[in-house]
Amino acid sequence: MNCELAHERIVAAAYGELPDEQIHELERHMTGCPDCETEREQLLALKILSDAYPVVEPDANLIARSRIRLEEALDALPPRRWYERLGQRVINNFANLQAAPVAACLLLVVGAGVGTLGGYRFAQSRASRSVYSTVSAETSAPQAVPPSAPAEIANISSIVRQPNSEMVEVRYNQVVPQRMSGSLDDPAIRQLLMLASENSTSAGVRDDSVGLMAAECRLGHGCKGAGIRDALMVALRYDKNAGVRQKALQGLEPYVSEDVRVRDAVLEALLNDSDPRIRTAAINILEPVEADTSVRQVLYSVSNSDRNPHIRTVSRQVLNRVPEIQ
Amino acid sequence: MAANTSTNGSKSAEERAQARAPEMELIREAQAGSRVAFDTLVRQYEQQVLRLALHLTGSEHDAEDIYQEAFLKAYRYIGNFRFECSFYTWIYRIVTNLCLDQLRRRKTRREDHAVVLDRSGDEIDLLASVSDDRSFSNPAKELDRKFLGEKIQTALGKLTPRERMVFELKHYQGLRLRTIGEMLNTTEETAKNTLFRATKKLRAQLAELR
Repeated sequence: MNCELAHERIVAAAYGELPDEQIHELERHMTGCPDCETEREQLLALKILSDAYPVVEPDANLIARSRIRLEEALDALPPRRWYERLGQRVINNFANLQAAPVAACLLLVVGAGVGTLGGYRFAQSRASRSVYSTVSAETSAPQAVPPSAPAEIANISSIVRQPNSEMVEVRYNQVVPQRMSGSLDDPAIRQLLMLASENSTSAGVRDDSVGLMAAECRLGHGCKGAGIRDALMVALRYDKNAGVRQKALQGLEPYVSEDVRVRDAVLEALLNDSDPRIRTAAINILEPVEADTSVRQVLYSVSNSDRNPHIRTVSRQVLNRVPEIQ
Repeated sequence: MAANTSTNGSKSAEERAQARAPEMELIREAQAGSRVAFDTLVRQYEQQVLRLALHLTGSEHDAEDIYQEAFLKAYRYIGNFRFECSFYTWIYRIVTNLCLDQLRRRKTRREDHAVVLDRSGDEIDLLASVSDDRSFSNPAKELDRKFLGEKIQTALGKLTPRERMVFELKHYQGLRLRTIGEMLNTTEETAKNTLFRATKKLRAQLAELR
């Protein structure tokens, strides 16, 4: 410790403001420093001298005079108006909140969190209620309203045809499971059947739906326009399941001669389908079209190049049997 | 005051908080507009305010003015009191600022009251209140005392207002440097340095008397 620091600490110690550990340190310094010892003595002398100007208590007259004067001044102040008092109260309350910024922030964070959680729970409960109403609808067998658009349907879960009737029950999912029953002539049922034919998860559902649509087409029930016929062509071209493609082909047989698109789909199947049974069935349902040489060309190509000898033979037989084609 | 300070220093924080609870109620009532509550607060602090103002200014008239201004300000702005410090610190802050203004005005006017004056302008013998048990019990010694008192006041008058205030609050009023820092809106360390400068100046001024 140097003397400059010691002089500062002497003053602090003289007025009781020095921490105990620093007092000890100062005493050690003072032991070996006569100048600082002198400094301390002089400070003590100053303290004594300063007491020559003592603090006196104010006398009663002074207090009384001061008090009276103050009361007169306070009485002369105009009373605060109600809006001044209200404003002060608002400011005080705001200031109290300002004085607790951590609490205010916590309150804000907690409030936002509770609000978000509450909103999420509310939305969840609404979704659950719609599920529960659907489940209760299933048990009491009321009919669901048919979806207004295919986009509302997530997938078709099952198709059940009642024996010896035109009645079909289709189970489909929107966000939650639904079901619907109706006739095969019902446009809504047909829409669901067409969607079912595109069900990528269940070959069984696709097989059922394509089989029903094909049967309708073979019977001539409402397959004239687009829709079911298109669904069967898509199934014939792209379905991964040979059984589904087989049924689709059977459903399109009545329209090979009148519909160029159907004929083209069948010809494509003859050329490209991986299953020889389907290629054979495609050959058998082809009918000659006088103006269309594509059939002849395909049969000729298949009779020469198909990898399956049976198909080559069958196609040659058709060419021989149908002189019009040749 | 020094004795009060040392007593307060030994109280626990809890005890001090409990002791302040009735005062907080008074303050809240005063904030709500209760004149009675405010008058009670005035009575609790008026003696300390006058004591400080009288010793600093050396004039009863000036001490009265400071008393008046301080409590009028307190009445006007008590709504702004946020209980962030004690009411004692808050009111003393008002008083010390008014005293500093007074000291600065004196410096400007170059007034220098070497003696304490009462309201009628007569000199007050401060040393008359000192116990006769001390060594100033004969006329010669009383003259010496008076001379010393005047010398002290003159030396105190040569300090800056801030140095004068810190020395007054520490030496004469017995407050802790931390409290003084709060009252003067500064730090404890700054208050300590100011006290050091004040004692150094006073020692230089009073060197001839030693």
